[in-house]
Amino acid sequence: MPNLSVVQPGLQTTVQDLGRITHQIDGFPTSGSMDQAAHRLANLLVDNPGKTAVLEFALVGPTLVFRTETFIALTGGQFSPSLNGKPIPQNQAIRIQKNDRLTIGAVETGRYGYLAIKGGIQVPPVMGSRSTTLRIGIGGFHGRALAAGDQLPITTQNVLSAYAHRQVSQQFLKHFCDPLLMLQSPLTIRILKGPQWHLFSTQDHQRLQHQQYRLTADVDRMGYRLAGKPLVTQLKSLLSEATVFGGIQLTTDGQPIVLLADRQTTGGYPVIATVLTADIGKLVQCQPHQLIQFQLTDLQTAQAELHRQTELLQRLKVSFIDQRYQNPIGINRAAAQRIRRLFP
Amino acid sequence: MKRYQLVPVGDQAISIEFPNEINPQVNLRLQALARIIIQSKLAGVQAVIPAYHTLMVTYDAMTTTLASLEHQLKQLIDDQLTAPLPPRRTLFIPVCYEEPYGPDLADVADYAGISAADVIKKHTEKSYLIYFLGFLPGFAYMASVDKQIAMPRLSKPRVKIPAGSVGIAGIQTGFYPVTSPGGWRLIGKTPLTLYRPDAPEPFYHAGDEIKFEAIDKPTFKAIKQADQLGHYQVKVVSENA
Repeated sequence: MPNLSVVQPGLQTTVQDLGRITHQIDGFPTSGSMDQAAHRLANLLVDNPGKTAVLEFALVGPTLVFRTETFIALTGGQFSPSLNGKPIPQNQAIRIQKNDRLTIGAVETGRYGYLAIKGGIQVPPVMGSRSTTLRIGIGGFHGRALAAGDQLPITTQNVLSAYAHRQVSQQFLKHFCDPLLMLQSPLTIRILKGPQWHLFSTQDHQRLQHQQYRLTADVDRMGYRLAGKPLVTQLKSLLSEATVFGGIQLTTDGQPIVLLADRQTTGGYPVIATVLTADIGKLVQCQPHQLIQFQLTDLQTAQAELHRQTELLQRLKVSFIDQRYQNPIGINRAAAQRIRRLFP
Repeated sequence: MKRYQLVPVGDQAISIEFPNEINPQVNLRLQALARIIIQSKLAGVQAVIPAYHTLMVTYDAMTTTLASLEHQLKQLIDDQLTAPLPPRRTLFIPVCYEEPYGPDLADVADYAGISAADVIKKHTEKSYLIYFLGFLPGFAYMASVDKQIAMPRLSKPRVKIPAGSVGIAGIQTGFYPVTSPGGWRLIGKTPLTLYRPDAPEPFYHAGDEIKFEAIDKPTFKAIKQADQLGHYQVKVVSENA
């Protein structure tokens, strides 16, 4: 099988899909991409199904050499990618020739980047998912982050319909997952009341909503710890319950931790609130010291936001299909011309 | 037993909550329910995650609505609450309680005011229900140990507990499938490999019963060797339906 060679691995580059969700019953963390909106967009740009396995990298991306022809797209945080030394844009499909060298570089805005490759990363699925869970060494590429010299299986891809049109505008990004939001301070993150909300005092409810929290340096794929004036309600210990992506746990010191992709499947700390699924991407792209302001909303709004994001992707997909015979036709036409030369 | 609540958690999950207690009857009902929800393949349902008294059902809000799912779940639960419980399995796990495998055995004996041999007797004479798996892959939360030996966890957790260690934390008992930090009182160790990254699915699940069997050191070594070669068969007894 053709492959993708890792020249430099970056800080923490792993294979991720949308998570090993059905095995939480046996205690397996879901893992999967931290910024699932960016993950889906990357796959859509190269015409992959949304859950296809991609590479996720944090802060410093990898340098890779492609040993075959294919198409790629980079999304998520803004990095400084170049192909054979020439800068390339993010958020659009890029044609890759055999032996092309992709350098992703360091992050400029945000935290996590995503590289989708047409056809996906062909590592074997483990219990139904290709996601890597580093803590227990399963999934992805031998259960670990990539290292120099690794060779990842990919497939040869010569045709991408509507190639030249597979890009998104700044306008689209602004509506979908505005990268400029990252520069806002404080950044508004919308929340819902959690299952243990009612166990906290009114004063604590007010404090959670009205104070600004600062993101600490204690941020990883398991969770992000925030710091603010501590909440004061003392709760007796609770029986453990299942956790959700975006759950906001209050630890005994009164500070919140937002539970993320590699979270434990169950936990005994009270969950005062949960982050809207539509806002998780925004939160995980934050750097330490970012100021965050929670804003309470309701379930209807939360699900409407999720629908809106999904709708945007769906419309984008339809627009690519509609544009496939519009000029410039791109890769389809290139392939046709080559065939004509071969069989005059 | 019929009292339960459906509580939305976040924007894509519902928690089925039974009364807030560790009760084997409630938990067995919940395990049966988990199985039925998985088998029913309700549109949009992604995963079910049981705990002591709660069952989390996660769903895709693009495929189903909260109202429709609540309606379907209520029907399943109400039908299930009166159905007979499915038969249970008991798995027999060999444990060596000798030095150096049970560093806290003497402390537990002191706490209980009995001999170490009696602690072992008490720990092995009951079988324990697996209420749920969580914390780590294959970490089984089991209860309830005899009150006399139900020593609270260490005030300062150990940094490194070897895989296979068997411990007590209050009325809970369990084993560590992988080497990890933890605060449970360690009283023994099983020679079985409980977690293999190349075949990660555990051989026990929530709703099973575990019975510990005391073995001596030579047996520990023999079983460990056989298990590593894939020759050891865990004894399983199924309850008649």
